[in-house]
Parts: sequence; structure tokens; C-alpha cells
Amino acid sequence: MGSRWTTLSVNWSGLSVFALVLAGWEAAVRSGMIAFEFLPAPSAILMGVVELVQDGILLQDLLHTLLSIAIGWTIAMIIGVAVGLLLGFSPLARKYGLASIEVLRPIPGIAFAPLGLLLFGFSLQTELVVTVLPTVWPVMVNTMGGIANAQPRLTDVGRTFRLSSYEIVRYLLLPSALPSIVVGARISLGLALVMAIVAEIVGNPEGLGYGIVREQQALHPEYMFAYIAVVGLLGVILNAGVLAITKSLWPWTAPRQSA
Amino acid sequence: MSQPVFQCRSASVTLSLSSGPRPIISGINLDVHDAEFLSIVGPSGTGKTTLLRVLGGLLPPTSGEMLIKGRVMTGPPDDVVIVFQDYGNALLQWRTVAGNVAFGIERKLSRAECADRVNDALNLVGLLVRAGDYPWQLSGGMQQRVQIARALALRPAVMLMDEPFAALDAMTKASLQDELLRLRDRTRTSFVFITHDIEEAIYLGDRVAVLNGSPGRIDEVIPIELPGPRDQIVTRALPEFLKYRYRLHEAIGHG
Repeated sequence: MGSRWTTLSVNWSGLSVFALVLAGWEAAVRSGMIAFEFLPAPSAILMGVVELVQDGILLQDLLHTLLSIAIGWTIAMIIGVAVGLLLGFSPLARKYGLASIEVLRPIPGIAFAPLGLLLFGFSLQTELVVTVLPTVWPVMVNTMGGIANAQPRLTDVGRTFRLSSYEIVRYLLLPSALPSIVVGARISLGLALVMAIVAEIVGNPEGLGYGIVREQQALHPEYMFAYIAVVGLLGVILNAGVLAITKSLWPWTAPRQSA
Repeated sequence: MSQPVFQCRSASVTLSLSSGPRPIISGINLDVHDAEFLSIVGPSGTGKTTLLRVLGGLLPPTSGEMLIKGRVMTGPPDDVVIVFQDYGNALLQWRTVAGNVAFGIERKLSRAECADRVNDALNLVGLLVRAGDYPWQLSGGMQQRVQIARALALRPAVMLMDEPFAALDAMTKASLQDELLRLRDRTRTSFVFITHDIEEAIYLGDRVAVLNGSPGRIDEVIPIELPGPRDQIVTRALPEFLKYRYRLHEAIGHG
């Protein structure tokens, strides 16, 4: 059995390349090889993070962004899973609904920012409009696909074991669609982070995204880069967190090597 | 002979396609007795899978009827269970081996009773030590054993098998064939075994029904009088085995 689980193992060789790039960057800035006025060295950025943490403002901004991701992603999951299930189970719903989805889906979420601003002003609601709309699609499409592509064989199995239609859905079709729904949920979460940051940059003066803009306008590049680094780290942590939770709840949905 | 446990009386299936009605199987009569092993052999396109779906109650026949222990079937009956060829799709990938075997009985039996039956069934197919593994951690032959154990746990009167070993290699196939015969002797289950492999049909069968033509019909049911217990080397080398083989090839139209 051994090393079937590939997630959450640390890729040291990959990390060492990243560390090397940082070291090169540090050396280039210190030696004066690159001398842009607003490009700080990694050490200065790290100091920036420490100072922002001590100040307390970073935590406040982080909490705001986390809150809006949590709300936005939850709304998107509820809508996406519900509509996805309907579309997956009902050919009629697919016949009448898919065209609208294919028209709406390619519209970049940020295109709705002016609409959100018009309706709600510079606010959390605007941020949620920008976050929820594009985040709905991955989970909706994956849920629909998971149900519609469930093996017809599973229905045969359910019938030969005398399950009712409800039991076939509950014990066979939903569990078989779950890995696909989980993948959709993970893509949506990554997207929710991106859209929350974008919304904070253009539409809601709060959170990590606004922190980037605020420090840029205050001509504090080391703080600006500190915010960017925190956003990157947050993305990694959110993805790893969802992977770890789903792996412990439903081990069979985790990525694996084939037997 | 005693009353058959499972009967198929002049069952026909006609599908209505856009190009008009298409008969798939026609006037099928079959009797299956207690603890009997009935092989059904036929070339592809003769409606083998359709016949199995009718026998398993998944597809109502257009005309004719199915009887289990003398009662007319209206859907999948309690005493009949199907083992499918594609174990990869038929097993529940999100459940352990034991969880898969419990699937057919867990809603009807108490927890203790269910655990007992799962143990018995896994013991019968020799997979007790793999009870906690997931299907994808097992070889193809073992996965098919899990599907057989899942059916056995139901303690069915009749087990229907649709080319269950077609996707397995020759050695795995041979050992699973012997295992089926042992299971039949120990559990007194009746088997209906559909295959396109003539030698497999003879080796396993007490009788071999030949499904032929389009729509598929059963014109001949050949009793196989080979000594038991059967043996992969000895039985297959018997002159009678070769005679049956010749006769079945002829019946199918290879002669």
C-alpha cells in the first residue's frame, strides 16, 4: 500500500528552487545589479510583513478577506450544487437551461463590478457580487457532470439489490458524483480568493486587495509586496486545507495513483 | 426432477426503435433447478445481455413471463441477484471491500447479523484479509470476487452472471471458475452463467443452453454429463469434453 497518498507531502526539491530564486533576487538588489526605486529585497518584504502584523492592520485585512471568501464561496456552493444537481438529474432542465449557462459562463466576473458598484456602492455587497457570480460555474458544471456521467451500471446494481429510486440516488449516484463535486468546490475556492482580491482592489476599500492598493498609493513598496505575499500564502493554505478536510472525510475523493 | 426454482416461459423482447420494432430475443424457455449450474452460450448479437436483464427482472419481457419459486416476477425479485462483467463500474469505489459486500443487506439486517454475513461471504471467496481495502487497491480478479461475495451475502436462490470473467486473464479465469463450482457445492445456489466461451460453458455447466440467431432463440439445451468434481486439466482433456465442444461449435454454426 505504502505511498499511495501523494497530497500534503512536502516537495523539498521544488521549494529549494523557490528559495534559490529568492536568494538571487536578494543578492541582485543588495549588490545594486537591479536598482528600481520601488523594488524591495525579499528581506525587506519579510520585515514589511512583520511590521504590518505588529501594527495589527494585516490581521484585520486578512479577516475581512477571509470573511468575504467564506460568505461568497458558501453562497456559490449552495447555488452551484443545487442547480448542478437539478441539471444533472433532469434532461429537461439541461435542454432548457444549458444555453443560458453557456452564454453567462464566459463573462468575466470582474465585468460585473460596475454593476455591483451601481447597486451597492463601495461595499461588501459589491465584493460578493463580483465573488459569487464567477465562482458558481465550476461547482455547478462539475456537479452536473458528476451526476449526468454516473455509471448507468450503478443504477442496475441498485435495482438488482432492490433499492428504491430514492435509495439509488442517495447511496449510489450522489456518492459516485462526490469526487467531481469536490474538484469543482476546490476550483471555486481558488477563484473566490482571486475575485475577492480583485473586488477589494476596484470596489471595496477593505481587505488584503485594498491593502495592496493603499500601500502602493502611500509609496510603501515593501508593504505592498508584503500584502501580495500574504495573498499567495493564503491561496496555498486554502487549497491544502480543503484537500486535507476532504481527504479525511472522504478518502476516495483524494487524488491517487491507480492501483 | 423436482420443481424448477427459476423459470422463463416463452419470453420475448421487442424494442421499439425509430426505425421500427426490432425483436431481440424470442420465445425463450428455460428451467433452472436447485443448485444447478446452467450455462448459456451464444455468439455476440444474439441478445445475451438482454436475456440476462430479463432474467434478473431489470427489463420486463414484451411477452411471456418469469417465475421464481412458482411466483410470477414483476421486478427484480428477492431471490435473484446479478453479477456484472464490469466490476470496476459495478463496485462502489467509495466503500471498502467489507462495505461493498454489506451493500445489499445492510438496510435489512441488524448490524451484528450483517457483519456475520459479510464475514461469511468474504471467507467463501478468500478475501477476509482484504476486508478493509478499497476496490482500487485490488487486482481485477479480486474485485470480481468482491462482486461475487456481495451477491452471496444476499443468500440468493439464483445468481445470474453476465460474462463475469471476460475481462480477466486466463489463469485468474480458471481459478475463479473452480471457485464458482465450489461455491455452488457449499451454498447450494443455482447459477445462470452467460458466456461466449464454449469451453467455459461446458466446464462449468450441468447443462448448456445455446442462444443463437437474430432475434436470439434457444433451440437446444445440452445436458453435460462429465464427472465431478471438475478439474482444469483432467476434465478438459476428456474425450467427452471434446465431443461436447464439437457439438456446441456445430450448434452455434461454426461446423
